[in-house]
Order: sequence, then C-alpha cells, then structure tokens
Amino acid sequence: MTYVVGENCIKCKYTDCVEVCPVDCFYEGPNMLVIHPDECIDCDLCVPECPVDAIYSEDDLPADQQAFLELNAELAEVWPNIAEQKEPPADADEWTDVPNKREMLER
Amino acid sequence: MTTTASNETTSRAEAFLAGVQNGKYKREIITGIGKFVDGRVPDDMRGFYSEVELKDLTRLHGTERDVEARMPVKITRHYFELAKDSPPIQTLVKANPSETGDLTGAPDPGKQMDYSPVEGMIHKYELGLIYVALTCSAHCRFCYREELIAKKEVERPDGTIAPKGLAQIADIVQYVQKHNEEVARNGGLHPETGREKLREILMSGGDPMVLGNKNLAAWWSALSDVGIENIRIGTKELAFYPARFDETFFAMLDRFHEAYPGTRLRFMVHFNHPDEFLVKDAEGHYVDDPEGGLQWVEETRRAVEGLKARNWLTVDNQAPIIKNINDDPDALRIMQRELRRSGIENHYFFCGRDIVGYKAFNVPIERVWQILNESQKGLSGVEAHARLSITHYKGKTEVAAVCNEPLAGVPGTENGFVVFKLLRGAEDAKERGKVAIVGRNPDAVWFNDYEDRVIYDEAGLFTGEAEETAEPSAASATG
Repeated sequence: MTYVVGENCIKCKYTDCVEVCPVDCFYEGPNMLVIHPDECIDCDLCVPECPVDAIYSEDDLPADQQAFLELNAELAEVWPNIAEQKEPPADADEWTDVPNKREMLER
Repeated sequence: MTTTASNETTSRAEAFLAGVQNGKYKREIITGIGKFVDGRVPDDMRGFYSEVELKDLTRLHGTERDVEARMPVKITRHYFELAKDSPPIQTLVKANPSETGDLTGAPDPGKQMDYSPVEGMIHKYELGLIYVALTCSAHCRFCYREELIAKKEVERPDGTIAPKGLAQIADIVQYVQKHNEEVARNGGLHPETGREKLREILMSGGDPMVLGNKNLAAWWSALSDVGIENIRIGTKELAFYPARFDETFFAMLDRFHEAYPGTRLRFMVHFNHPDEFLVKDAEGHYVDDPEGGLQWVEETRRAVEGLKARNWLTVDNQAPIIKNINDDPDALRIMQRELRRSGIENHYFFCGRDIVGYKAFNVPIERVWQILNESQKGLSGVEAHARLSITHYKGKTEVAAVCNEPLAGVPGTENGFVVFKLLRGAEDAKERGKVAIVGRNPDAVWFNDYEDRVIYDEAGLFTGEAEETAEPSAASATG
C-alpha cells in the first residue's frame, strides 16, 4: 500500500478522490473514506483532488497520522466500496482542519 | 472512476456501459525502496534486495543520482513470485545504482511533444497514441516512458514546461471528429498532413489495464462511436498481474463486441523473457507440458486463453532487448516459440531507446541484431515473424542486416556494414521503405554512434538533428 486517508477526512468526506480513482479502491464509512491497501495502485491521482488534503502517500504520512495506516487497512475490509462521487455532508466546510476529529470517527 | 464524454455519450454506449461491472483486484503492490530499507515489506520479500544493494541505493537518495527520481520502484506480489528465482526478472524490476551512472539521454525520446495536438495525445503516425494512465502495476527499470511515469517536467514546442498529462475522452473524441471531417471534406486525405482518416487509436500510458472495466468500456465505446475501427491496448499486465484478465473483464469484452461488432481490439502485450510466464522446476528448468510445448504459469495461461477465445481481437508481443534481461538467444527462442504456440504473434523486438540513463540498459545495436538472429535459428517460419526495430525520431526503423564482409569498392565498409530501413514515417509516411547504410561500429548503442561512418542515407536518418540526444539536465535528473 502507499496511499492513506488521514484524519482530516472525518466529517468532511468530499469524495472527489473517488471520482478520479482508476481502480475504485475507496471504501465508505458513515463519516469518512478509506483506501484498500492491496487494491491501491499508487497512481497518486487522488492526492491533489482532496479539497482538505487528507490523503497521503504512506511515505509522507505525518507521525501523528500513523494510526490511520492500520485503520485504512482494517476498515476497507468491512466498509462498502464507493465508486461514484456524492454530495458531501452539509456541514463539511465547518469541519475542515478542525483538530482532534479522530474521536468523532463513526464505524 | 466514471469518465464520461460529456454530452457525446450515445444511447448505444449508454446501453453497453450500463451492464459493465468492475472487478476487484489485489495487486499487493510495493512501491518505493524505502519499504525494503525499513523492512515494511511482507516477511518473504525482505531479502529481495541484499543489505549491500540497499546501502548503495540509499546512499544515492536525494542526490543527482537518485534512482527513484529517475523511476520509482514498484512491484506486484505476482511479479515478485516470478522474480524470486529469476535473475533476468530481478534485473527488470529491481533498482540498480548503474541506472544513474551516466544520465545522458533524451528527456522526450522520439520528440513526442512535437506531435501532440491535444493534451495526452500523440498523433505522429497514421494511428493516434493516447496516455490513459500514469502508472503500471509494476515498473520496468528500462521504461522509455520514464518521463511520464516519474511525472517529470517536459518542454513543449511552444517553450512551456509541464509534466505530460492524461488524455480525456471528450478532448480525444473532439479531435478525431474534427480530423476525420477535414479528411472527408478534402477527398480522403488531410489537407495539411496528407494522412487518411484516423482509424486506429493506441491506448498507452502507463498501462491501460490498471484502469477498471467501466473506465476502459467508456473509452472503447466513445472511440468506436466517433469512427475508430481498431483500438490497441499496450499492456504489460499479462506479466505483472494476469489476474486482471478475470471473468468481469471477459464479460465486458463480450458485451463490447455485441454492442460494437465492427471494432477490433489489438492487445499489444509485453513479455521480455520466458521466466515471466513459464513454470520452472526446483533446478530452474522449464517443465515439459505432456500435451506439447512447455508448462505455463496457470494464471497467465488462463488469461491468454481467455483473450484468444475471442476471435475478433488479436494479441501481439513486442519487447525491447535489454542488457542482462533478455540479451540471450536461447531465452528469446523459447519465448518466441511458446508465445506463438499460445496464439500470440511475435511482432517487434526493439533496441533500447535513448532515454535518460540509456547507457545502463542498451545492448549495442549490432549485438542485438546478432542475438535476435541467433534466437530465430531453429524457429519455424511462423514463429520467427518478429523484426528488430530501433525507434528513430523519424519513425520505427528496422535493423535489417548486419554484414561482416566489406562491400567491394566502397570505402568505409572495411569491417562490414549495417543496413537500416524505415518501417514507418510521420504523417503520411513519405519515407517508408527508404534505407540507410553505415559502416560497422560494434559499440554503437544509438544512431549518433554512426554519424562518422554514414555510407548511404536515402532515409535521412543521419541528417543534422536526426539523432540529437540531450545532455543531462536539471529537469531530467531531478524528476
């Protein structure tokens, strides 16, 4: 795996990334997306699409986001696949860059 | 990914696309040397690079000689399994410090940007080439699209500098439509280039087979709807991840043929070495198939049979001959024989191109000719169809003959001579079939090595800018 969805996706979930993913490797939870590590082909297309810069190459994953490496792998196995873009939550803007969102992650 | 040709989607395309399903694939890709260095790879992959190799590569990191700035390291689980016991495949896929020992080479081999009418499209020959993906499932170290894969800045004819971009369906459809309308209005030939209508599009990248079925289907239907009759798919996925050719893919192929019976698919596949598809025993020998020929890796055999079961598509192999990978007549002989037995035509072998760092990969041109010629001894005529081509910026050029004897009375041929023949030309291919003859230079790896010994040049391969090869530059060394 190389690409990981980090904390800033929580409660924002814009899904622009889903639109460009050539292999449909995003999985959707109640308020966040994750990437399936074995399905991702490391094409890098999703990173610039994310309006809140929540997607990282595994190699560039900040120290405080390391937990999301494991979380992406775990949740991609249980959440349903998402292949088409949808409307973000109505209050997505308000949650951009809000710290400590990980406590609000719904499974 | 749902790419749509905006309002151009026809009802035929809509009906076809509605029934296309995407498959799920686990390529289990490892990207980056860093994972091998830190031990973040699965246990069985840990020894794939030796300690010494990792130390040497790490030392170059961040310098001008950083091998990953030239081409990122990438491998699938399937290809790793093949590579484990195969030195040639390891050479193909493992980074090596020698790659950046001499960074001479062209940042835009073939001067493609001179022929790019639309972002992501090259229209140089009779067919159009489109970039539909920026990556492959794994990376060949010798990749001649390294500028694209490593997303390097490339200078365009108008002087602007930017990475090469991907083709978009709507843009390409619009270009083909306009081109072919101009051709029709001008009595069948384009008023400026003299070309006939665009009948064929080559989907390349990167590897189109990394795209999902829906994405491929959207391209194929849009191209068919605008009058494209033949679609080529340039792919190494049969070697890197044959499981991509699954039942969902074959179902999509069948639906496509039902919806567009006049469109032909031409799979241009890329096997370099028989180790990429043949089973080996504990001693490293290929295994006889009791039914004839040799035993194939099960997943690859199934994929090839699935393609060959559909008689409206063709499968052709083309591959460069690269140092320490397949500069081996015996391996090439087995490969050509086995591919043909499985219904894959041997189309081209190539001399390495003048990419940045080419001196680490390229075998001297005359040696390549000898290797291929040697490999074709003992093959039946139908197995030996492949020609040796070297890609001059003017067009694909056959290395037709390497002769050992002097040409009586012709100075410069004392050590023998080499005959090149242009197989294709830009635009309306005026120069097709023209020949150039040069005195031998057994060390030559590119055209410029023959500049001082040109005897006859009807093809114009050695006139001025013909074999311009750039010196290493900041743009080409730092990705």
